[in-house]
Amino acid sequence: MTFSDLVERLKAALGDGVVGVDEAHFDPAVRVRPQDVKQACRLLRDTLGMDTLRLLTAIDRPPESIEVAWHLVSVRGDTGTLVLKTTLPREAPKVATVSDVWASANWFEREQFDLLGVIFEGHPKLKRLMLPEDWVGHPLRKDYVRPDAYHGIPTSRENVTPVRTVSVPEHVAKAPETEGLMLLNMGPHHPATHGVLNFLLETDGEIVRRATPDVGYLHRGIEKLAELNAYAGTMPYTDRVDYLGGMFTNQAWAMAVERVAGIEVPRRAEFCRVIACELNRIASHLIATGCMAMDLGAYTPFIHWLRERETINDLMERICGARLTYTYMRLGGVARDIDAATLDKLLRWADHFEVMTLEFDRLITTNEIFVRRLATIATLQPADALSYAIVGPNLRASGIPWDLRRSEPYSVYPELEFDIPVGQGWRGRVGDAYDRFKVRLQEMHQSLRILRQAIAMLPEGEVRAKVPRVLKVPANEAYARVEAPRGEAGFYVVSDGTDRPWRVRIRTGCFTAMPLIEFLSPGLMVADIVALIGSLDVIAPEVDR
Amino acid sequence: MLGSLADRIVQALLGVDPAVWPYTWLVHLGLMVGVALLAFIFIALFAGPVTWVERRIAGRMMSRIGPNRVGPQGVLQWLADGLKCFLKEDLIPAEADQRMFRFAPYLVFGGYMATFVVLPFGANLVAADLDVGLLYLLAVGGLVVIGILMAGWSSNNKWALFGGIRSAAQLVSYEIPSAFALMTVVLAAGTLSMQGIVRAQGGWPWEWFLFKNPFLFVAFFLSLTASVAESNRTPFDLPEGESELVAGFHVEYSGMRFLWFMFAEWGNLWVISALGSVAFLGGWQIPGVSPDTLGGATGLGWVGWQLLSFVVFVLKASALVAFVIQLRWTLPRLRVDQMMIVCWKYFVPLALVCVAGVLVLLVAVPEGGPIDWMLRGASMLAFAVLVAVYVRRTRAAYLADRDLYRRMEGKELWYPPYRLP
Repeated sequence: MTFSDLVERLKAALGDGVVGVDEAHFDPAVRVRPQDVKQACRLLRDTLGMDTLRLLTAIDRPPESIEVAWHLVSVRGDTGTLVLKTTLPREAPKVATVSDVWASANWFEREQFDLLGVIFEGHPKLKRLMLPEDWVGHPLRKDYVRPDAYHGIPTSRENVTPVRTVSVPEHVAKAPETEGLMLLNMGPHHPATHGVLNFLLETDGEIVRRATPDVGYLHRGIEKLAELNAYAGTMPYTDRVDYLGGMFTNQAWAMAVERVAGIEVPRRAEFCRVIACELNRIASHLIATGCMAMDLGAYTPFIHWLRERETINDLMERICGARLTYTYMRLGGVARDIDAATLDKLLRWADHFEVMTLEFDRLITTNEIFVRRLATIATLQPADALSYAIVGPNLRASGIPWDLRRSEPYSVYPELEFDIPVGQGWRGRVGDAYDRFKVRLQEMHQSLRILRQAIAMLPEGEVRAKVPRVLKVPANEAYARVEAPRGEAGFYVVSDGTDRPWRVRIRTGCFTAMPLIEFLSPGLMVADIVALIGSLDVIAPEVDR
Repeated sequence: MLGSLADRIVQALLGVDPAVWPYTWLVHLGLMVGVALLAFIFIALFAGPVTWVERRIAGRMMSRIGPNRVGPQGVLQWLADGLKCFLKEDLIPAEADQRMFRFAPYLVFGGYMATFVVLPFGANLVAADLDVGLLYLLAVGGLVVIGILMAGWSSNNKWALFGGIRSAAQLVSYEIPSAFALMTVVLAAGTLSMQGIVRAQGGWPWEWFLFKNPFLFVAFFLSLTASVAESNRTPFDLPEGESELVAGFHVEYSGMRFLWFMFAEWGNLWVISALGSVAFLGGWQIPGVSPDTLGGATGLGWVGWQLLSFVVFVLKASALVAFVIQLRWTLPRLRVDQMMIVCWKYFVPLALVCVAGVLVLLVAVPEGGPIDWMLRGASMLAFAVLVAVYVRRTRAAYLADRDLYRRMEGKELWYPPYRLP
């Protein structure tokens, strides 16, 4: 089904509801009236195959309007992508919630309410997500004035030290005690939460009745920072979005700006990006699978994987000079070329690593205790996965072969040969925690395949296009996404003709995986919650940004 | 044994007949206290260095080095750790139940200490050879549950409470298969006395209870696994499961109080290994030397035999310690329901079958007959196969690693396989 067919169907159903069509941008967009959003969404999901809401963005357009954009994608259908847009009055921005259409909308809407003050009518729990409950104002509004202090904590850099008069907010329990259940705060400092996350567990003995994620501890407002920076200046911030997969957020940002500014990337640079990214993917999966074993009490596999990651870090250091926050990509290419000695070392390590995976399998993958801890635990059905907009290995473990490298090809991936591992229900059911673990292990092998091919095909040439020092981007918009270790890493950039973006929206795989924990947790045991968090590979900065 | 030693001392020093002298019991008591003190020093000296050994073994298994800074090869690491814990602030949460909170570590430590009373370290090296030695050992082990539960409850911390409750459930459950597995030994030896159990075995492996018959062979592994579970070690470390319960029942403890728990934990590592070697591996029995030779010697010869039997005992127990440490760094943790299933659905019935089997064989198979030797042979063969598999897999992994290292780095591994890293 082509885009024009889609528009025809929408027009037939909504009549005057369709206000305009915009095919100029990277993803074609349809504008509808605010009151028709819900009907359009239902239609799109039920009859036009748009099974996933991958991103929801509100854009402040002073003086009178706020624009809201729903990025939809058809994962199992053939209808491609579509952006649904509507314009709301800025004074009272109200639109119907679509959280009953796609479950992923729940948190997206809460976040946009928090940061821009858009009210989604009918939302089940429209409370602030990132900022504290008693915060005043909506920071991503263009006329937002930052308060000087929050509870006596200064917000500007001039008077950071010494802090003398901090009035600690009164401690309020984050959830009411339910009769017969015990409220257990798992986090923000807990070994199994992989960063500063908090889960409110309501437990009945060892059995968890509900686990409510409480996020925002690492919210640094990178979307806001990106609005204040020049395009190239945002690159170092993108590393901090996903500290285990910095290359991917680098690449997504570079691709987004290249799309809005129309920059061509040299071919060698694309290959350099692929090599760096796939190496990074292995490093990230090493941490994911290793941590999962450690969460279940097996320390040795984790330390073995750390050793392998150490070699990758050394290689990364040779490639870009950094070991964790790479900032390797530049707008229009990469920072520097990869030399032959590094590639040689990489290939030797690849041989070594393949043998090490066998040792890892002997040590933990086939361990009966480990298998029984994970198999049939927290099974994610494909339909739920799509509704929650789960991406990456978590989605593939549920049996859906959706990989952006193949489904929405970018860079030079169409030229490379690799398989997409999907969950088979190896030891239990399709989509259980063990499948998620195993899919990651298999993806590492595929990444090795890609690495070997990319190194063999690496062409000669420049690694960086000529990009003006002060990059002024015409008014445009693009949503660039790449397949990161935790799924989709995407940057939605709206430019306005100046040297700074008007609005930047960051999409990460973990943001949609977090509410899933609440969905899957009832009935699990406390130890299973740890396995569930580990198997979804949730890391906090990706959720909070 | 200790009594006869006391009698001898009275006779030699005072020249009076110990049977009529009214204060003989005082000498007995003094000797007992002395031996108990020795045991205390031993537990302190054991629990310390074994942490270093454990960390070095773990380091080797994880292809890293482990502590090697304090003293040669880091052997004094445990002293540095202990000193650090001494100097740490002793924090007691404001909302905690102060008295119980303070008392719990001593109860746990006391429970473990009390087991040392009946552990026979050598032919005559035992604080008190009680007639109900094994029963006493199982009973004082139960004290630990109370201590852990007290610690978990009095901390006024939900995580600690979780740990305490899990621990209570786990220890109470695993005491049953553990006791039944040891019951087989009691049946075979015909006594509950620890020295009696050792004397019922011999120095050579085929005289050990481990190989006496297949049921005892199975009971050994049951007993060892149940003991590991009772001492809260991986794969049964649920009460303190680090990634689930942060640190479980001792999450609120710091400084010296924390150290008491750790003392008890590593001391208990020794206790379960010693128990295993006493019950199944012939204890201090020296191959080829009968217990009568040991007891009958006098003067320096007596001291020599005692020391030799002590060394034999320590070697056997240390081998078990090394095995349990390896288990810890290989296996992941069970979930709480799986832990219970393993115990009640598999271990308890299996232990009961072992008891019944041993009973039948004791009655049906005459000692020293051809069938008896066949049973011993079969058990030893099974053990040999297990050891062979273990050695083969370890060797294959080592060789693969060596080749990899050579290919990656172009040089040999920096340590040969037989040396400590």
